[in-house]
Amino acid sequence: MTRFLSKNSRTVGLAALLALLLVATKLIQPDFGASGLESLARAVLPFAFATVGMTIVVIAGGIDLSMAAMMAVASVTAAVLMEGASDGQAAIAVLGVLVLGLVMGAINGTLIVLTRVPDIVVTLAMLFVWQGVALLILNAPGGGAAPWLRDLVVGGVVLPGLPTALTEWLPKAVLFLVIAVALIWVPIRRSRLGLMLYAIGSDQLAAFRSGIPVGLTRIVAYALAGLFAALGGLSVTMGTGIGEPIPGPYLMASVAAVVLGGVVLGGGRGGIVGPVLAVFILRLVRMDLTLLSVDPNVTAIIEGTITVAVVMFGGLLAVRGMQK
Amino acid sequence: MKKRLLGTASLALALGLGSAALAEGYKIGISNTVQGNGWREEMICAMKAEALASGKVDSLNIAHRNTDAAGQLEDIRNLIQAGVNAIVVNPTNADGINAAIKEATDKGIVVVAVDQAVTEPSAYILSNNQEEYAYIGAKWLFEQMGGKGAVVYMRGAAGAGADNDRDKGFKRAMAEYPDITIAQEVFTGWQQDQGKQQINDIIAAGVPFQGVWTSGIDNVIVDAFTEAGAPLVPIVGADNAGFVSQLSSVEGLKGAAVTNPGSVGGAGVALAIQILDGKVPAEKTVLVDPVLWDNTTEEGKAQIAAAQNPNLSPEWPVSVSIPGWTTYTMDQIIACKGPGE
Repeated sequence: MTRFLSKNSRTVGLAALLALLLVATKLIQPDFGASGLESLARAVLPFAFATVGMTIVVIAGGIDLSMAAMMAVASVTAAVLMEGASDGQAAIAVLGVLVLGLVMGAINGTLIVLTRVPDIVVTLAMLFVWQGVALLILNAPGGGAAPWLRDLVVGGVVLPGLPTALTEWLPKAVLFLVIAVALIWVPIRRSRLGLMLYAIGSDQLAAFRSGIPVGLTRIVAYALAGLFAALGGLSVTMGTGIGEPIPGPYLMASVAAVVLGGVVLGGGRGGIVGPVLAVFILRLVRMDLTLLSVDPNVTAIIEGTITVAVVMFGGLLAVRGMQK
Repeated sequence: MKKRLLGTASLALALGLGSAALAEGYKIGISNTVQGNGWREEMICAMKAEALASGKVDSLNIAHRNTDAAGQLEDIRNLIQAGVNAIVVNPTNADGINAAIKEATDKGIVVVAVDQAVTEPSAYILSNNQEEYAYIGAKWLFEQMGGKGAVVYMRGAAGAGADNDRDKGFKRAMAEYPDITIAQEVFTGWQQDQGKQQINDIIAAGVPFQGVWTSGIDNVIVDAFTEAGAPLVPIVGADNAGFVSQLSSVEGLKGAAVTNPGSVGGAGVALAIQILDGKVPAEKTVLVDPVLWDNTTEEGKAQIAAAQNPNLSPEWPVSVSIPGWTTYTMDQIIACKGPGE
């Protein structure tokens, strides 16, 4: 138990911080309950997918600045394909968008591996390319979303065979997030591929000498980021019912959550749970600031300050851990 | 670590109790998704000033940041959680935020969309009448042109709702003056630099025209004429501070400013308060009619002179209030303070 705690001190700390923030929210707004959790979870969804995608490339030693732009491409593609489509067609459209995400990410990765231009430069360039592609598909917000898809993330979980009161407090959006991430990431993490992703992030040369196909693994990392960007874009469309060609504020937010979640920007260290918890914390801080009616021009400063403070605090913990 | 976290929590608690102390009047939430734009900042200040001047609002919860429709959904849901009585929103999109608006109105919260419409039927809409905006400006221009000649038609952004509405009004005026033709039709995208380039090209090309109608990109058009030394023709613009000051200062300029007040935000707050007081309007959609100030009549000149205020930010539209709706003073909107600030 103590070993688990010291090994995962960052994640445990973030979970504790989230719990404290939830308590604080309840104190600020005594009515805060299931519906508040549900609002929070729905707001978290696109940010969480962007963050998971970003986490994977950062673990593999890269960074993807085109994350929000790929989400916009996925969002408008989904919205255009689903407008007026039947339920079955919409399901095919969703699969198509997920494949599109993989392809966009793979293009990013391939360009990086082939050109040997630094990740940050290639993905910055691709940010503009994907932005243009999104505008080409839809030059103004529009399109539609299948009702069944939108219902996937609305309300609380109801499981057959279990009393409703037992599960209802858990937002469907959280379940959706957990299932999507678990289905994709857990098998990878437990396979050789997962080890390879961490290895190339840790030390590319050592990984190469251990016989790891470094280039291919990097392409896979970017493709996975693209897949999660597609999920993020889909969740934007699920929430709004439209596609938006202008990328939302997901790039910087995802980098912030990755750092806050204890993933080392140089690569090789960190997990998925920490950054996702960090997304919840950042969204909850935004909610609390709205509840407290803090001056809107000050809220951004507070959000930034909290990020820096938590990261510094985490760094302090890490240093202490090493000294032991 | 625990101690520090507890410290943070108790600080948050103290802050929370401080603001949630008394609740007598209304609590109004505001959601806006464009920050750092003169028109939108004036809108926010008008909202604050109206809430203060009404004396019926205890506190405002303002979610004012640059974000997308998904972010505005989050903001509106946070405002619902904050337990506001009404939400005044400048929607980022007509369809994208319907889900959260429906959740709010289902909880009995009054929702007023200002500036732009939403398609959710349970929301009230208070918007500037964009069709009328174009119509009265174009009609004045065609009168000045003597009912005949060619006009340069400088529109806003292609595909924008306000641009579509304005086009309807412009075409309605065209239909009343059959001898007016369009010399050139361009989309400025409501960008100053783009509009200026376009009018420079038109002047340089030597296309004959007798008037210019603009969708609010106005002062740079006047600049282009004076810089090129071209003879001035009548010009219609919006009530932006720059253009309004040109109307009284540029020699030989005949022009008119049509109001497109950002203070529609204040009117939205006023409407929300009315509805909370039980005075529900007959129609869900309320349009604020624009006013035209021209510098060819004494009355218009007086209005232009009165509208100018050196204390106003040059980025703001000068029509800082809407008669019949807003009740604050000029000083109150410039101070930009809401209740409890």
